[in-house]
Amino acid sequence: MKKVKLFFTAVLVLIASSAWAQSQVSGVVTDASTGEPLTGAAVMVKGTRTGTSATSDGTYSLRVSNPQEAVLVFSFYGFKTVEVPVSGRSRIDVAMEVDATTLDDVIIVAYGTVRREAATGSVSAVKGETLATTPATSVDKMLSGKMAGVQLSSYSGQPGSTTTIRIRGTSSINAGNEPLWVVDGIPIIADDNRNYSNYGVGGGSNTAFLNPNDIESITVLKDAAAASIYGSRAANGVILVTTKSGKAGQAKFSAHAKYGLQQMANDNHYRPLTGEELITYWRDAARNAGANPDDPASTYYVPYSLLENGSHNWYQDMTRLGKLQEYEINASGGNDRATYYSSLSYHRNDGVFPSQSYSRFSARVNADYKLTRNLTSGARVNIAYDDSKSGNLMGSSYYINPAFAMFMLLPWTPVKDEDGNFFKPSENSGNNPLANAAYDEYLDKEYRFNGTMFLEWKPIKHLTLKTTNSAETAFVDSRAYSNPLADPDGESWLDTYFTKEIRLTTSNTVTYANVFGDHNVRVLAGQEAMTDTYEYVGVDSPHVDPAIPYPTTATQAEDQGAYSFSEYSLLSFFGVADYNFANKYFVSASVRADGSSLFGAANKWGVFWSVSGSWNVTNENFMAGTRDWLSLLKVRASYGVNGNNNISPYRSYGVYGVTQYNTANGMLPSSPDNQQLSWEKNKTWNAGIDFGFFDDRLTGNLDVYSRLTDDMLLSKQVPYTTGFGSNFMNIGSLRNRGVELTLDGTILRNRDWLWTAGFNIALNRTKVLDLAGSEYLTVADSRRGNDTPVRIVEGMSMYNFYVREYAGVNPSNGEGLFVTEDGTLTSDRTKGRYIYAGSPEPKFSGGFNTNLTWKGLTLSAFFDYVYGNKVMTGNWYITDGEDVLAQNSQSSALNYWKKPGDTGVLPKPIAGGSNVWYAGYSTRFVEDGSYLRIKDITLAYTLPEKILKPIKLSGAKVYLSALNAYTFHHVNTFDPELGPIGYAYGGNHPMVKSFIGGIEITF
Amino acid sequence: MKRFVTYILIGLAVLSVSACEDFLEKGPKLSQSTDLVLSSYDGLNKATLGAYARLGNVGWYGGERVLESEMRSGNGIKHIDHNSNRYMTQMNWNYLPEATSGMWATGYVTIAACNNVIDNLEGKESSEVSAQDLNNLKAECLFLRALCHFDIVTLFALPYTYVKNNGNSLKDNQKLGIPYVYHTDSEARPAREPVLTVYENIVNDLLEAEKIIDPSYVRSGVADAKAVVTLPVIQAFLSRVYLYMGEWQKSADYATKVINSGKYTLYKPEEYTKVWTGNTGGSEVIFENFIDLGNLSNEDCSYMTYPEGAYGDCICSPELYNLYEDGDVRKDLYRQDSNETEGLWWTLKYEGKGTGTPDASNTVILRLSEMYLNRAEAIVRGATVAGTDAVKDLNLLMKNRNASQYNAVGVDAIQTERRKELAWEGHYFFDLARWNKGVTRGSCYGMDVKYQNIPFPDYKWALPIPKRELNVNENLVQNDGYKE
Repeated sequence: MKKVKLFFTAVLVLIASSAWAQSQVSGVVTDASTGEPLTGAAVMVKGTRTGTSATSDGTYSLRVSNPQEAVLVFSFYGFKTVEVPVSGRSRIDVAMEVDATTLDDVIIVAYGTVRREAATGSVSAVKGETLATTPATSVDKMLSGKMAGVQLSSYSGQPGSTTTIRIRGTSSINAGNEPLWVVDGIPIIADDNRNYSNYGVGGGSNTAFLNPNDIESITVLKDAAAASIYGSRAANGVILVTTKSGKAGQAKFSAHAKYGLQQMANDNHYRPLTGEELITYWRDAARNAGANPDDPASTYYVPYSLLENGSHNWYQDMTRLGKLQEYEINASGGNDRATYYSSLSYHRNDGVFPSQSYSRFSARVNADYKLTRNLTSGARVNIAYDDSKSGNLMGSSYYINPAFAMFMLLPWTPVKDEDGNFFKPSENSGNNPLANAAYDEYLDKEYRFNGTMFLEWKPIKHLTLKTTNSAETAFVDSRAYSNPLADPDGESWLDTYFTKEIRLTTSNTVTYANVFGDHNVRVLAGQEAMTDTYEYVGVDSPHVDPAIPYPTTATQAEDQGAYSFSEYSLLSFFGVADYNFANKYFVSASVRADGSSLFGAANKWGVFWSVSGSWNVTNENFMAGTRDWLSLLKVRASYGVNGNNNISPYRSYGVYGVTQYNTANGMLPSSPDNQQLSWEKNKTWNAGIDFGFFDDRLTGNLDVYSRLTDDMLLSKQVPYTTGFGSNFMNIGSLRNRGVELTLDGTILRNRDWLWTAGFNIALNRTKVLDLAGSEYLTVADSRRGNDTPVRIVEGMSMYNFYVREYAGVNPSNGEGLFVTEDGTLTSDRTKGRYIYAGSPEPKFSGGFNTNLTWKGLTLSAFFDYVYGNKVMTGNWYITDGEDVLAQNSQSSALNYWKKPGDTGVLPKPIAGGSNVWYAGYSTRFVEDGSYLRIKDITLAYTLPEKILKPIKLSGAKVYLSALNAYTFHHVNTFDPELGPIGYAYGGNHPMVKSFIGGIEITF
Repeated sequence: MKRFVTYILIGLAVLSVSACEDFLEKGPKLSQSTDLVLSSYDGLNKATLGAYARLGNVGWYGGERVLESEMRSGNGIKHIDHNSNRYMTQMNWNYLPEATSGMWATGYVTIAACNNVIDNLEGKESSEVSAQDLNNLKAECLFLRALCHFDIVTLFALPYTYVKNNGNSLKDNQKLGIPYVYHTDSEARPAREPVLTVYENIVNDLLEAEKIIDPSYVRSGVADAKAVVTLPVIQAFLSRVYLYMGEWQKSADYATKVINSGKYTLYKPEEYTKVWTGNTGGSEVIFENFIDLGNLSNEDCSYMTYPEGAYGDCICSPELYNLYEDGDVRKDLYRQDSNETEGLWWTLKYEGKGTGTPDASNTVILRLSEMYLNRAEAIVRGATVAGTDAVKDLNLLMKNRNASQYNAVGVDAIQTERRKELAWEGHYFFDLARWNKGVTRGSCYGMDVKYQNIPFPDYKWALPIPKRELNVNENLVQNDGYKE
């Protein structure tokens, strides 16, 4: 028995002694800059699988088997990795230094964040700081030219107008093309429900209710891998906006103010003719019609005496110096349990046209509260009120629109008559836009409330449950009042509309994330539901009493009521799985099932999915030798299918509408049944490469992609014998292919100087593959409902100009010439043949920027450009119409044929309107739309600490900016930006340029 | 813990899936689904009324059915002082497959509205709804279906009489009528039936309607009882269809039924000029299209025949105007423009409803005078009717128009009187077609001289089938003479 005891004792001693050879090492991991503990920092014994992570107070503890030889590796995301030999010590404290090159690289993606390194899809992200350098007036406008493949265009420079956004080209003909906007995890209402202040713009993304200064970051999800988790709404890409939240620590206040002046962007000096120019033009037109302009008996009597009472410049009379001002204060802070960010801002922009203004008040509160150790709650609340006012219906082709009328009104027509009343010029159908500006009202008041609340629960380590619930309301009050004092017939009318849209969303996810040695795993499953209702009620009240211009004074017999209602819903289930091995190999897959009320009973549910992978080559051991110059090399590839459900509700229903006959109510078929109606499908593959050289002094990425839009929603002609002329079906396809390159570099970096530059370029080609039997579709001007000269043609690019072929001027007689079907020349425009005259799709587009900092002084400049697109302005309608002696013309009209032998000129004007070679679409009006725009130049000065400290400020910055400073282009109108179809009727609100000064202080 | 979470998630998923079918049903509220409308008597009744709604379209009795006939036949002319370039194609007979009559579209969508009702009546009887109630709806829809097919086939095919008499010598596509559509079917691509078959089907629809309608039935709730289908409407139309087929005895017999119904009386000479502005049809009217002053749609008949403040493109030709003798009340139914331009006369049949502006006018589709004219023509062609003859019938009409009496009546007299009485009501072109007579005008009225006279036969007497229709229905063939 003793022997036995001895034996066991020996064994125990042996075991114990081997145990004694190990040693316990512990310590604290902190942030070198703040001294705060780094919870979660990884501590590994080099070359082994032994490791732990720092607890919430930054402490760690682990056993090291060979305390003399072992090396500990401390790593934490956003900090430089540190290796420390144990050398027999039992306590090792480490202060880790921030790794500036990687900290920026946490990017917000769908339902979470990801390190840029781990991203497998194509995403572009802009951080708040980058955004802040541009004093933009709305969130959408902050994106212009910043990201490869994200093209923004505006139809209008009116304050508060929307922007059209195309991510990697136009992918749909009938469903929408605007991206999905997701703010703090919730897809928001980005439609424009205003009636008058954004008139003639139509569509576009309406995000004016968001205060740009509240934005922390914007991420654009471009390919299927990144976006398809948004399923049926992801086809046009997704824009994720994250608003600022507070950080624990002392309360921080910041205030800023800016003030600026605006004028029309008109760098080519486009203008109407002066009195002298116009009279010469008219007299030549009269002579060309065989008349004597000095003969009072002639129909075309154009004496110089018209100028006797002087002439004036309507362009100048109808424009003014715009004003822009913005004031904001925000506060943020918190403690270890609660953080908050709140802001209040006021923005006002008085436009360059009289009586035009846009103002916005917005308030935001973002609060997060740690209820218990594993339960967090938070809220994001934004309230905004914006108010757009004008006395003119800008963007219309109506006579009351000054941008249109300035080319109609004659320079010798006075603004006011002798009694001081506004003159009612006959050449503008009795309308005087200055009178409209003074008396009429076209206004929208928009009330937006977005409230989101979330609850996050971590029941066990690695597992997170989150529920996010949101209510969003958008109300618009619209009023259009025509005052008898401005109306040509002295009559009054009033339209009053109230629009209401309400959206409720719930989003619930469960996430499991863990690290098993080199294996990183994240699995997310979720469910979402959304309902949206839209409703308006309005009343048109003709002949209201001008003393009380409200619906109550219109007669009941004339009042007309209007009402509309629609609703739709979406229910979704989705899941994502990410895996990476040793930060070298990354794979990700997502799937989402969406059920939508928009589609036919047979196709209510659609499944969307993606797979993607990437390989971080730099992390391979064999790359060790190149790391001193090649700091990053990563290749990515993805494929996925997502959808486009952007159609109006009820299109799948066979419906009877109410009709009247013989004073009784009847019903008549109004749309055919379409149980098969379903999503448009978008199949995208993407391959990319990310690189960095010389410790990331030069970084960049290159992506190639192909997006196939399939089952395209098109209206297909069907025989009338079926009871309908057309039916909306899933037919047709088109494809976008392209290449994108982004480069960012630090040219100079030392103690006092920092000089960076960035560049991006995108090439996209759209090809219509199948129009289901239609040879071509004519694009209607969605803004005004009439046809444009733009066609969608099978086998061609998305949009193409098809117009009559103009062949210049006949040098012998000054008539315009056209090429006929058989190739001969004719002066009869109506015999001219139709030819393809180019596409408004640019050959390439993008932007570049540079930023030079010397001590506190920063000079930054930002450019965007578009190359190789054709555009067509509808100015012919105004300026080169058939009725030469009825209106003014544009400055370029002066270059007309004057004598035999003149070439390279415009056809001669002829009074009387028989000169049909003028008007109508032809190649004469198709122009090169390329431009280079100096979008923004900013000079900023950050005051040094030694000045700030005595006055108790923690930061102060002053800046001067020029927005849209200058545009190089050749288009014969104010500004070359004419939207995706490259065509604009007369009367667009021209772009404006702004000169702004501002100050920001933090305390 | 993990298991607990799993249970919660599974529970949530089950709950939401079961709730989702309702959640995703968001039907339209401001209109009604086809299924719902056609599932009840009330819906079917409204759908029947709705089927009338397009009668007043510009492409039908609100304009082209009338004016197309007048301008093509030589009843109408244009003048440079009143030219908005409207009704030019009609005057020149230069229709193209790309730009042909809109009647094809208007007709077939109305036929679908009728078929939807006809095919869904079965089993809708209830304690409140009798079999007769359902039959009345069916009769209305059968009538409208026949009317649509008739109005399409008379435009897009050569006349029945010509095809019947020359059948053997005609090419295949000269004998074709139009598809006769009995059921709404979005997949169907029907071919054109022979002209003779189309007329047979029209007659069958009308005979069935005649058989099943309650003889006293007049749709309730309407302002104008003359603007809905009743038994005499069906019979009057049968008289016309048989007339167009050369079935003289049947045409005469149906005209007699209407005349003898006692429901209609000929306009007296002293009231003749005043009966056209009423809100509802006058004593002669059997069937008309009703235009609601409170709910105006575009209407061409008034605008095109109104010289002041409207277009006034369609002017009475001197050949027609000069047919009226002095004292004939029908001559008083024309007026001049404010300049009293020499030789320009406009009809007063569409003077509006007394508002003094060319707002709206009902269009008469069937009236008693036509019945007398149908019967007289049928008798001249060999029909017999006890107690009357062609001279008696025609002279009764002459007496009521203050026009000279006839001693004897031949084909020429019938044709002239028909033209004079029914001018500007959309008859003359179709009459010329069935008489196989060409158009002769006194002048080219400023048009190309080659359009002045149109001989018969000529391929132009059948309009081109719409190209867009040929594009989407591979079973259709184009009419002879037009590009495919």
